[in-house]
Amino acid sequence: MAIKFNRVDFKYKGEGKKGYLALSNISLSIQGEGEFITLIGETGSGKTTLVQHMNALLVADSGSVDIYGIKVEKEAVKKKKIRLNPIRKKVGLVFQFPEYQLFEETVLKDITFGPKNFGVPEKDAVETAKSVIKIVGLDESYLERSPFNLSGGEKKRVSIAGILAMEPDILILDEPTSGLDPLGRNALLKVFFDIHQKLNKTVIIITHDMNTVYEYAKRVLVMRDSYLVYDGDPVNLFTSKNIENWNLDVPDVLDLTNKLERDLGISLKTRPRSASDLTKALEEVLR
Amino acid sequence: MKNIVIGRFVPGKGFLYRMDPRTKIIALVFLMASAFIIRDFTTMFVAVGLLVALLFVGRINIIRVFSGLRPLMYLLAFTFIFQLLFNTQGDLVASWELHYSPLNILAVTMLVVTWFFVRRRLPFKFFFFIATFVGVIALFATLRLGPAFATGTLNIHQNAIETGFFIVMRLLVIVTLSTILTLTTKPTDLNLGLESVMSPLKVFRIRTEEMAMIISISLRYIPTLLDEANKIMLAQASRGVDFSEGKFKDKIMQIVSLLVPMFIISFKRSDELANAMEARSFVPGQPRTRLHQLTWGFADTVALVVSLLVLTAVITSRVVM
Repeated sequence: MAIKFNRVDFKYKGEGKKGYLALSNISLSIQGEGEFITLIGETGSGKTTLVQHMNALLVADSGSVDIYGIKVEKEAVKKKKIRLNPIRKKVGLVFQFPEYQLFEETVLKDITFGPKNFGVPEKDAVETAKSVIKIVGLDESYLERSPFNLSGGEKKRVSIAGILAMEPDILILDEPTSGLDPLGRNALLKVFFDIHQKLNKTVIIITHDMNTVYEYAKRVLVMRDSYLVYDGDPVNLFTSKNIENWNLDVPDVLDLTNKLERDLGISLKTRPRSASDLTKALEEVLR
Repeated sequence: MKNIVIGRFVPGKGFLYRMDPRTKIIALVFLMASAFIIRDFTTMFVAVGLLVALLFVGRINIIRVFSGLRPLMYLLAFTFIFQLLFNTQGDLVASWELHYSPLNILAVTMLVVTWFFVRRRLPFKFFFFIATFVGVIALFATLRLGPAFATGTLNIHQNAIETGFFIVMRLLVIVTLSTILTLTTKPTDLNLGLESVMSPLKVFRIRTEEMAMIISISLRYIPTLLDEANKIMLAQASRGVDFSEGKFKDKIMQIVSLLVPMFIISFKRSDELANAMEARSFVPGQPRTRLHQLTWGFADTVALVVSLLVLTAVITSRVVM
């Protein structure tokens, strides 16, 4: 078990006397390989706080998080008994806004910044940078450009490349596709899915797009008002009655399948999870 | 970072919250002026007593004010120590002969090394630091280990103690007073108040409205930028930047990785703010109507008279004594 939350509570201080409760009694385990998890929930429900606990950027007020055998607890971190950098090397977290991390003169320097912090030699880091920039859908000519003259989507890709270059075992992305056009979004999601499939890595994505969840996720986590209310299969989630209570949308494909069955009496043999699967299933039935 | 109080409004109750911002600003000027004029110990202690009383009566969280003063501690301590060491006016109060011998220096080095290793484990780091500093001087002054290769004298003069004390007290009083103003006044009210107080300057063609706007926007953005800084630190920490340790060379890199995004974000934010203001038809220098009108109450008159009385009292005491 790579990451294990054990009854974690977390409160943001400073806002009023009580503070803002962001996580309550969260228990959860995540494997170090082979998982593709999406994390959904309303704004302010604690999604970002949850993932920031996964690489020890935030530390639980009570309870503990086990990350690759290192027990991250408040007291231990305060007294500097544990080193946090090895954790961050293994669990890579891409922030929602690339502006928070880009700072170097060139894209190349920015991408190699992470690996070099973890002691990777310059030469190897440059090689990795050349390969990751292609993975995120840009070409090598971008490496010499300034990260500040890029468009929003390009910045986003560079910031993802910066984390990919660290070669983490678990990749966490906080709304990686916000601000991208549909084409770029799909391409990038394919990239994450490829990373997950080819390298058998665990990928965790925070998203508001239910289609992504339904198409790619093997496991869904739903956060609501600081509680983890659902942990399991996406099909069960979207066919249950709870989705309305949790203010979640029904994915387009599922919505269309339901309507086909209800209004036109067409029942499919399989349960399609993506648009292309739905077309295939329809062709099969209508032939 | 989170407990920096300067410039942050904290909602609360108490008469200071209900007062007109104009009163608070003018009273602040009077009281600050008084703090500069005071030259004798009794008056200074009375002034500090009044200030503490004001905090109590205004129901302001004193711990909050003190935690805001914490970053100033080093500045205050160094001002005081520099006064002690370099001010040579007035009567001689105390004099020590400093004995620089190899063994003495060894003892001092041992003290500093102990401080360096123990400091992380101790509470009250600041007092510990001061104690060590005093300890170093005390060691040189008292120990007589082996022959000295050089000697020096440490003279402390009466003026040094007095000036040091007054500088420290004045800074404390001024910062506490201005913290009270910003703690109890909403940025929008502060803006209105400043504008209104500065409006006589219009005679000299100074654009007071814009100045007030600039001041209030900068005050408003201090907490926002601190929050941003915190987020940047988290983002860089997840790329392996460890802000709590590292060699000097690494430290520079850490600071650059924090400052560059900080600058970019500030510029971007100010650009967005300018656009948002223009989108709502803000034109610099044009007369505007106001949502909130300032109202002058009886309490305001009383507060103003009291602060004026304090100023007069201080001036009289200075003239008389």
